[in-house]
Amino acid sequence: MNCIQKVWLVILLAIGIGGGAFAQQADSISIKVAAVLSPPNDTARSQALQYLAAQKDPSTFPLLAAINDKKLYMLDGKAVTTGEAENFGGKEVFTVFYLYPQNKEAAVKLPADQLQKVEISRSERLILNVVLPYLNLTSHDPQKRIMAYGQLVSAQDTGKIAILAKALRQEADAGALTAGKEVLFQMKLHEALSEPEAKAYIDSLDGNWGENVGLILKNYAENGNVVSARAYAAEKVKALESLQGRIEKAQNLFSGISLGSILILIALGLAIVYGLAGIINMAHGEFLMIGAYTTYCMQSLFIDTLGVKSDLYFWVSIPVSFIVAGIFGLVLERLVIRHLYARPLESLLATWGVSLIMVQAARSIFGDLTAVKAPAFLAGGWQLMPHLVLPYNRLFIIGLTVIVVSLTYLMLYRSRLGIRIRAVTQNRTMSACLGVETRRVDAITFFLGSGLAGLAGCAMTLIGNVVPDMGQTYIVDSFLVVVTGGVGKIAGAIVSGLGIGFLTKVLESFYEAVYGKVLILALIVVFLQFKPRGLFPDKGRIAED
Amino acid sequence: MGNKKDFGLYACGIALFLIILPLGNVLGFVSGNTISLWGRYFCFAIVALGVDLIWGYTGILSMCQAFFFCLGGYSVAMHIVLKGATASGTNGIPMPDFMAWNQVEALPFFWVPFQSFGLSLALGLLIPAAFALVFGYFIFRSRIRGVYMAIITQALALAMWLIFLRNETMLGGTNGLTDFKTLLGLSLSTPGMKLGLYLVSLITLGVAFWFSRKLVDSKFGKVLQAIRDSESRTSYTAYRVMHYKLAIFILAALLAAVAGMLYAPQTGIITPGRMDVRASVEMVMWVAIGGRGKLKGAILGSLIVNFLYSICTSLFPDSWLFILGFLFVTTVLYFDKGLLGMLETVAAKLGSKRKPSPQPAGHEVMQS
Repeated sequence: MNCIQKVWLVILLAIGIGGGAFAQQADSISIKVAAVLSPPNDTARSQALQYLAAQKDPSTFPLLAAINDKKLYMLDGKAVTTGEAENFGGKEVFTVFYLYPQNKEAAVKLPADQLQKVEISRSERLILNVVLPYLNLTSHDPQKRIMAYGQLVSAQDTGKIAILAKALRQEADAGALTAGKEVLFQMKLHEALSEPEAKAYIDSLDGNWGENVGLILKNYAENGNVVSARAYAAEKVKALESLQGRIEKAQNLFSGISLGSILILIALGLAIVYGLAGIINMAHGEFLMIGAYTTYCMQSLFIDTLGVKSDLYFWVSIPVSFIVAGIFGLVLERLVIRHLYARPLESLLATWGVSLIMVQAARSIFGDLTAVKAPAFLAGGWQLMPHLVLPYNRLFIIGLTVIVVSLTYLMLYRSRLGIRIRAVTQNRTMSACLGVETRRVDAITFFLGSGLAGLAGCAMTLIGNVVPDMGQTYIVDSFLVVVTGGVGKIAGAIVSGLGIGFLTKVLESFYEAVYGKVLILALIVVFLQFKPRGLFPDKGRIAED
Repeated sequence: MGNKKDFGLYACGIALFLIILPLGNVLGFVSGNTISLWGRYFCFAIVALGVDLIWGYTGILSMCQAFFFCLGGYSVAMHIVLKGATASGTNGIPMPDFMAWNQVEALPFFWVPFQSFGLSLALGLLIPAAFALVFGYFIFRSRIRGVYMAIITQALALAMWLIFLRNETMLGGTNGLTDFKTLLGLSLSTPGMKLGLYLVSLITLGVAFWFSRKLVDSKFGKVLQAIRDSESRTSYTAYRVMHYKLAIFILAALLAAVAGMLYAPQTGIITPGRMDVRASVEMVMWVAIGGRGKLKGAILGSLIVNFLYSICTSLFPDSWLFILGFLFVTTVLYFDKGLLGMLETVAAKLGSKRKPSPQPAGHEVMQS
């Protein structure tokens, strides 16, 4: 950090040399700006433009950029330009930006006919060619500013460092500031002649930690001006690379956990249903799809029909997708699966048929691709450190999984319903003898299991599109989770879900995603050699066939 | 009585497929397309025989038969594609166009043996068999069965499908292998070749059926059914269950591979789409719909479902999946013994009205 301050001092000094003349200069610039906006005679405007172009003062760049874009207007005697068009009550209105002396957004949005256009001829615009590389430095879009900073590196102009330093003093966006400083330090580094100076800039680049720092330092280590500082740069590159490697690992770990938590959400319902009734529900993935489409419908209902433009729809769709998917599950249980208990292989085929019907139905109702707009409160991410951002939507999914798993645990192990479900899972006939209504328990369990898949579907809309066959993508994976975890065990689903999700991401970082999948399958087959009944098998007599 | 009825059925089948259809084709009132369509159905029927042996008779639900089918299909397709290859590789062997488009310089090593027809056939059988042996060994060794078996084989089908989809596996990626020209020097597009392949498929189906019949009636077949009905009791009586399972798994894989070999030249294309999980499940469903545990049922089911598929996709293209799904559900729920079982029940009812005393012919009793 100290080094950065040092460098800033150098820059300020460089600018400060001409400091005395500064105020005077600003005065004459504002006179010339006025001349551009309302020229007293025919040649005054081009003379004023020539002066401004030669001065290259960042405060005039917004104005010059507006001239270059042919979007200069007058509003109440002030120069303005227009931004994005917006539809307001059937009329097109524009965001308006003041240009000089301050570059800021006006509070009002106006239609084009209330603005008075300032016509500037082509020959006058051509005068601006010398400042073109700088005009985007003061753009309203941080992305454009970052690009403009980057383009300065290759610009052929001795004054560019001073201009960039001036522009950066007004930079408000953190990302753009980092990018701009990186360019500034890079240019300074290339001009540095002594070793301490070069080292100071290398430190600044390192401390600033921009997007391309590794590349810049690597280049400098190979052919920097100051030969004695090259080794220092190489050292920094090495340290940076190892740090980036660690960050990448952390990111992989995180995405492994988030993939694992989705698998857990899906596999949890599957594991409970399979443990209870021995039913392999191939249509389980389709309940996920139903949950996702429910979220989509809720969004259309709230935003398009009711006109509620908040994130309310998402909060509502969490319970609604649970209930809707659950009800579908109940219907499926009543119509099909009820007749297939104790015939697991047949149930697999029948539910496969059901899944075909459901996917095709979704396709004919909703079409091939729809997307749910992610709610605003989940946009962005939690920045742990530079270059390590944990997206909020993934964090939300992990949080949701934790809550759902705890609730399921409480339901299974701390409630009367849970006791019944576990009793039927252990011994159906004996539970029936003791007065448990096994049929009702079956139905309730199926409702819960399908509902959990629906919840997973609702969560999935945060990270992907909603497509009719979205369930199929995850179904085989989640079956593998159930097989690896052991039948009907929450702990098994959690451990193997996390394990498989994590392994997938780790293997993906070494190999292509596909080979990762093949490797995981091989690992699971090997694993089953030692633990054929999964991680947490039943013990004792009930474990036998 | 059963034998007489069977004889009638066989006679009908032979008359229709071995005499009427080919004769019609030669005389010109059955189109070449119809002939190759039925030729392909026979290929599916051969796979279905394998599925019936492993699922209907042994009770192992294998969901990766389509993968073995494609291994056979790809091996013949690779041979045909190599024969028609024009792009030149750096090692002097001509290579298929799609490789040239993918900037491959020389023919990959595993393509080289497929230049010879005999080796292609041998590899087309050997690879699936070896695959089934290794995979089956590890699965049956750890006593994975029932639903677990279904899931693991499904995962295998999924993983292999993903691998075949990749471009760098050098098998044509998503587009698969196509642009078939000649087989053994004969053009694949002539009516004579189509009829020839049709007849070969039909005869292979006949041989496979005869062989499977012998197999299930033999002592080996009885042990398979014993395994299906109670695996633990069979192993208590000192049968090595794992060996039997492994043998039938390999046999089913071989039947699928043979079918695939006959299928590829008749379709003119083979893509990974033929080997995804859905394809495998459909193969199982043919058997379920026809009547599992009966070899005739497997053939009947595969012919009927595929015939329906051809009709429905041209008449109402969007609703085929609805029809198929509905067929799945109703068959499993209400016609547990499949079409053949239903016919027999109806026949038995009619028969018992006429003469109430004799029991219906002794067919296998299904237990799951």
